[in-house]
Amino acid sequence: MNVKNLVKLCVIGFYGVVTLALTLVLETPPAAAHGERSQEPFLRMRTAQWYDTKWEPKKVAVNEMATMSGRIHVAEDWPRAVSKPVRTFINVGSPSSVFTRLSSKVNGQPMFVSGPLEFGRDYEYVIQMRARLPGHHHIHPMLAVKEAGPVAGPGGWMDITGNYSNFTNPVKLLTGETVDTETVGLGTGLFWHFIWGALAIFWIGFFAVRPMFLIRARVLASQGDALLLDPVDRKVAAGLLVLTLVLVAVGYYTAEAQYPYTIPIQASEVKIKPLPVKPNPMVVEVLHAEYDVPGRALRMTLRVTNSGEKAVRIGEFTTAGIRFLNKVGVANNLSPEYPSELVALEGLILDNESPINPGATRDIKVESKDALWEVQRLMDMIDDPEQRFGGLLMFWDETGDRHVNSISGPVIPVFTKLAVS
Amino acid sequence: MFRTAEIVKASKLPPEGVAMSRHIDYVYFLPILFVTLIGTFHMHFDLLAGDWDFWLDWKDRQYWVVITPFVAIMFCAATQYYLWVNYRQPFGATLCIVALLTGKWITIYFAWHWWSNYAINFVMPATLIPSALFLDIVLLLTRNFVVTGVVGAMGFALLFYPANWVIFAHTHQPLVADGVLLSLADYMGFTYVRTGTPEYIRIIEVGSLRTFGGHTVWISAFFSAFLSILTYFIWWYMGKGFCTAWFAVTGAKGRVTKKSDIMAMGEEGFAEGIKVAGGGRS
Repeated sequence: MNVKNLVKLCVIGFYGVVTLALTLVLETPPAAAHGERSQEPFLRMRTAQWYDTKWEPKKVAVNEMATMSGRIHVAEDWPRAVSKPVRTFINVGSPSSVFTRLSSKVNGQPMFVSGPLEFGRDYEYVIQMRARLPGHHHIHPMLAVKEAGPVAGPGGWMDITGNYSNFTNPVKLLTGETVDTETVGLGTGLFWHFIWGALAIFWIGFFAVRPMFLIRARVLASQGDALLLDPVDRKVAAGLLVLTLVLVAVGYYTAEAQYPYTIPIQASEVKIKPLPVKPNPMVVEVLHAEYDVPGRALRMTLRVTNSGEKAVRIGEFTTAGIRFLNKVGVANNLSPEYPSELVALEGLILDNESPINPGATRDIKVESKDALWEVQRLMDMIDDPEQRFGGLLMFWDETGDRHVNSISGPVIPVFTKLAVS
Repeated sequence: MFRTAEIVKASKLPPEGVAMSRHIDYVYFLPILFVTLIGTFHMHFDLLAGDWDFWLDWKDRQYWVVITPFVAIMFCAATQYYLWVNYRQPFGATLCIVALLTGKWITIYFAWHWWSNYAINFVMPATLIPSALFLDIVLLLTRNFVVTGVVGAMGFALLFYPANWVIFAHTHQPLVADGVLLSLADYMGFTYVRTGTPEYIRIIEVGSLRTFGGHTVWISAFFSAFLSILTYFIWWYMGKGFCTAWFAVTGAKGRVTKKSDIMAMGEEGFAEGIKVAGGGRS
């Protein structure tokens, strides 16, 4: 090695040490989310359309209960590239099991196993959870679709205080016994693993205490195996064989006697009826939509018909869990508990904010504009193979009654400000 | 008690050679053979049968019982070939399973429990040690790999379920949650959130084995036994393929022949001028 190479290695080593030192010195915050922003926009905007998501309460102690609830609209404009929701499971997106899930009901039906969902219908989920691991956790509702993968809903921060060592998760069996899922069967499992491990080590050790490889190979090659097959080995093997069979039988019949009432793993499918279709007097047609890349805005021209009996106003456009609101939406539908990083206050701009009267049909230019398009990486829809948008448009009448319309359509990208129509 | 002294004498190694051979035993056995088996067999097993072993709610009467033994017997058969044919050592299967469980327990504690915070009982692995002991002992007692492949492999698979029932029977106790009948294993699979493992991922209890009068487990176990017999022979010969050393030897007249005698390097022919032209595995 010459001096030049030595210097090169020193420089590389110096960089390595500096990198390690900086890593240790500088703040390195933990990963804060689950990669939901990396999911393609068509997956987030046009499959499960999440709304009314709530995390209650947002701060709990270990063993206390919390609820995550909300609604999903299964988009009519489901992408061709995503498998249809014939087998789905409403899940919790969390960094490990920081909560245990005690109950999950969709439209009032328990969802312990998977089942199909229908296009264009709404589902209301309520998930009861018990706080398990202390920390500051990002919790999502999640719709897992077989062969398509999980679709993450909006994520909210929840805090768990206390000490994990105090956590218990009791559950009552049909036999009347109550067990703790954290520890049930642990001692028995460890005991039998230890017993079998000890026997295995004895068996290997019985041969390992004697010359194992080279000497035996030489003897085998030169003289055959007559000398190597020690009668003691056969006797010990026969004894161990009997012991093994006896132990298996003892274990099996002990378990049979201890747990006389057992059932197989359950492999069913849940058929959940969607929420009843609420009469909706609003008809929305997307005439044109464009995404302004530098302006970070989705501009839509909508033809809205109000066939109801009350005047309504547009208040919110929500897509991929991100909410664009105007004053109407803020007044009617903004909970302070909703994650502020997913809300664009004053992000919804209309060219005509006057109420849409009963019987009226109006073409409205609606602009949802905020840096969230970029921060949440929804602007990547211009890279999708099918450039369409989807979302929920919400109307309110003067009594506060809400009408929700799922809208979708092709998007034309606008790459320069000069090209804005 | 043992024939060790006679064996050492028969090896014709000088005392320093005997001492060195024991050092080689120690260096080769734990740091090389055992650790290699931990890495390779653990990866092999987890890729082919991992989820059935990871989660309580995958340990059903069909797929768990069928898949686990015949996946596990693969390395056992190949290692048995290597240790038996070359050294007449009858602990190949047990060594494999101990290596597998060592890797599993390291993973369970550090990855599943310490890192991912799952309760240990929820990710408790199955044991295959009784099966492996049976396979090894059949090989030692019969000294016949065909009988071992038939009787031993069948026992390997058939012992799996009863040996593990004592560990997992409690997870099949029934309970009712929200009016739905579940086994405790189902409930634990539900209660411990797995973000990337939704319920439908489970491959359990689909098919028509229930037509056999409800004796699903034993039908599965016998099916697994037949698969294990077939797999045993295939992997025995895999072991032969990968563990047979040979030398290309150039004879006196320049003809190159294959010599698979592992003692060839010490034979008279080499001392008399035959030279090794190359080497490798068959």
